[in-house]
Amino acid sequence: MKDIIYYFERDLLRWLRGRLSVFSALVMPAAWLIFVGLALPTTFTTNYIDFITPGILVLTMLGASLQGGSLLIFDKILGFLNKFLALPAPRESILFGKICFITTRGLIQATVILVLAFILGASLLPPAGLALTYGILALFGLLLSAFSTTVALHLSDHDSYAGFNAIVSMPLFFTSSALMPYDVMPSWLRPFAYANPVSYAIDSIRALQEGLILWSRIGTLLLLAVVVIAISVHRFRKVTL
Amino acid sequence: MDTAIETTDLTRLYGTLCAVDKLSLSIGNEIFGLLGPNGSGKTTTVLMLTTLLRPSSGSARVCGHDVVSEAREVREHISYVPQEMAVDIKLTGRENVALFGKLYGIDRRDEKIDEVLEIMELCDRADDLVRTYSGGMRRRLELAQALVHEPSVLFLDEPTIGLDVAARRKIWEHIRALKGRGMTIFVTTHYMDEADFSCDRVAILDHGRLVAVDSPAVLKSRVGLDIITARITGQWDGTLPEGIQFLGEEEDDLVFSAAEGSVKVPGLVRCFEDQGASVRSISVRTPTLDDIFLSLVQTRDDAGGFDDHRFRTMLRRR
Repeated sequence: MKDIIYYFERDLLRWLRGRLSVFSALVMPAAWLIFVGLALPTTFTTNYIDFITPGILVLTMLGASLQGGSLLIFDKILGFLNKFLALPAPRESILFGKICFITTRGLIQATVILVLAFILGASLLPPAGLALTYGILALFGLLLSAFSTTVALHLSDHDSYAGFNAIVSMPLFFTSSALMPYDVMPSWLRPFAYANPVSYAIDSIRALQEGLILWSRIGTLLLLAVVVIAISVHRFRKVTL
Repeated sequence: MDTAIETTDLTRLYGTLCAVDKLSLSIGNEIFGLLGPNGSGKTTTVLMLTTLLRPSSGSARVCGHDVVSEAREVREHISYVPQEMAVDIKLTGRENVALFGKLYGIDRRDEKIDEVLEIMELCDRADDLVRTYSGGMRRRLELAQALVHEPSVLFLDEPTIGLDVAARRKIWEHIRALKGRGMTIFVTTHYMDEADFSCDRVAILDHGRLVAVDSPAVLKSRVGLDIITARITGQWDGTLPEGIQFLGEEEDDLVFSAAEGSVKVPGLVRCFEDQGASVRSISVRTPTLDDIFLSLVQTRDDAGGFDDHRFRTMLRRR
C-alpha cells in the first residue's frame, strides 16, 4: 500500500518540477472552456455554459488519462520499468501509483474548469452534487488511466502509443454526448453516443444539475472500472519483457 | 551461502531464434563477467536471472531461490542496474536513492541513504538535481540505489558503457570494493580489458552458447601462444616456417601465432625475405583477452547475410 504512495510521489514531484507542463495542464482546460463553451453558436439551449461544462470536465479527464499512459511508455523506454519490476514490492503498485497520479492531475485540471465555469456564469452545484461530480470524474479517470497504462505496458515505443491514443480518443470524443444533447444529434449517432462510457460520466454529471442521480449509469461505470482494473492488475503481475 | 547463482540448461527461445542455449553456470562470491558479441544473449541471461524474463526451459537459482517459482524471494536478494542509465533527472540524487530505500522498505532509511551516497562519493552533490550530474556520477547514483537494501547479488548490465576512461576506472574500483564487502557481482561487458583486469572469472557466450568459462589468466594461458604482427611490402605466398600459424590480416598487418614467439621471429623474417618481400615492422606480444575472445567467437559481422528480421526481434526482446 505504501509503495503506491512512493510511486505516486515520484510522478508528482517530476511533474511539479517541470514548470511548463504544469502551466499547460492548467491553461489547456481553460482554453477549452472559453473556446468551446463561449464561442460555438448554439440554438438548443439558452445556458450553453451549464450544458457544456460537464462535457468539458469529462473530456479533460479523458485527455489526461490517455496522455497519462505515456508516463509508463517513457519509464519503459528509459529503463525505469525494468528496475521497478526487479524490486520485491508488488508490481501492481506501479499500476496504482500511475493511475492515482494521472487521476489526481486530471482532477486538478477539472477544478480549474469548475472555477472558471462558475466565474463565467454556470449555476453553482450544491455541495453534495459537487462531491458526486468529483467522485464520477475520479471513477472515470481511474477507469481510463488503468486502461491506457496497461496498453502502454504492452507497447514498445512512443509512436505506437501515440497511434493508440489517437485511435481511441477520437471516436470516444466525437461519439459522446459532450458537445450536443441526444435529441439534436443525428439518429445514427444516438445509439453510439448512448453506449459510449464517456457519455455515462457526462450524463451522470449533467443529471446532478437537476438534482438527479443516475445510479444505473454510475453503477455501470463502477463495474467497468472494477473489471478493467482487475485485468490491469493481472497483466502487471504477469508481465515479462 | 557458497553458490550465489546456479543455472542448469537455462534456455530462452524467441520464436525460432535461440537467444540462450542450455547455459549451465555455477557462480560463488566473485566478480563474474559475462562476455560476448552483440546479440549473443548476455542481456537475455541477465533478464532471466533477475526474474524479468521467463526461461523457455532449464532452471536458475539465485541465492538458493528459483527465479520462476520464488521470484519474489529472488528480488529481495538482488539489485539490477540495466544498461540504460535510468535516473530521474528532475529529482535530486538523494531523492533518487530515497525512492529505492522506501520501495525496499529498509530500516534506518535516512542513515542508510547517507551511507550509500558516501560510499559512492556523492555526498557533496546529493541535494543537487541529477540533471547537473555527469554520466559517471549518474552511474554511481544507480549503484547507490542498488546498494541501499544490501543485496547479496548485484547484476550490472554494461555498467561502463558510454563513460570516459576515468569514470570507467572509478566504477570498477567501486565494483571491486563491493566484492570486498561480500557481494557477488554479475556483470556483462564489451570491454575485454576491463573484464581482464577486474573479473575473477569470465564466461564467453557466442550465439547463446557458452564457449568458455574460467579466470582471465587461465584462459590466456590456455592458448599458450604469442601473437606476432608483421607489416611487409611485396608478395608473400603463404608458406611459413615450422611452428607458426597464420591467423589473419588486421588492416595492413599480417597476424600470426606461435609458441615462444620471439624465438620464431628471425625464421619468419628470413622466410619473407626469401620470397623477395621486405619486412617493415614486426612485433611480438602475449595474447590479451581480446585474442581469446576473437579466437572463440565467430565474428558475426562477416559471417554471411544479415538477417534483418531476426536482428530486430533480438533487439526488441533483448
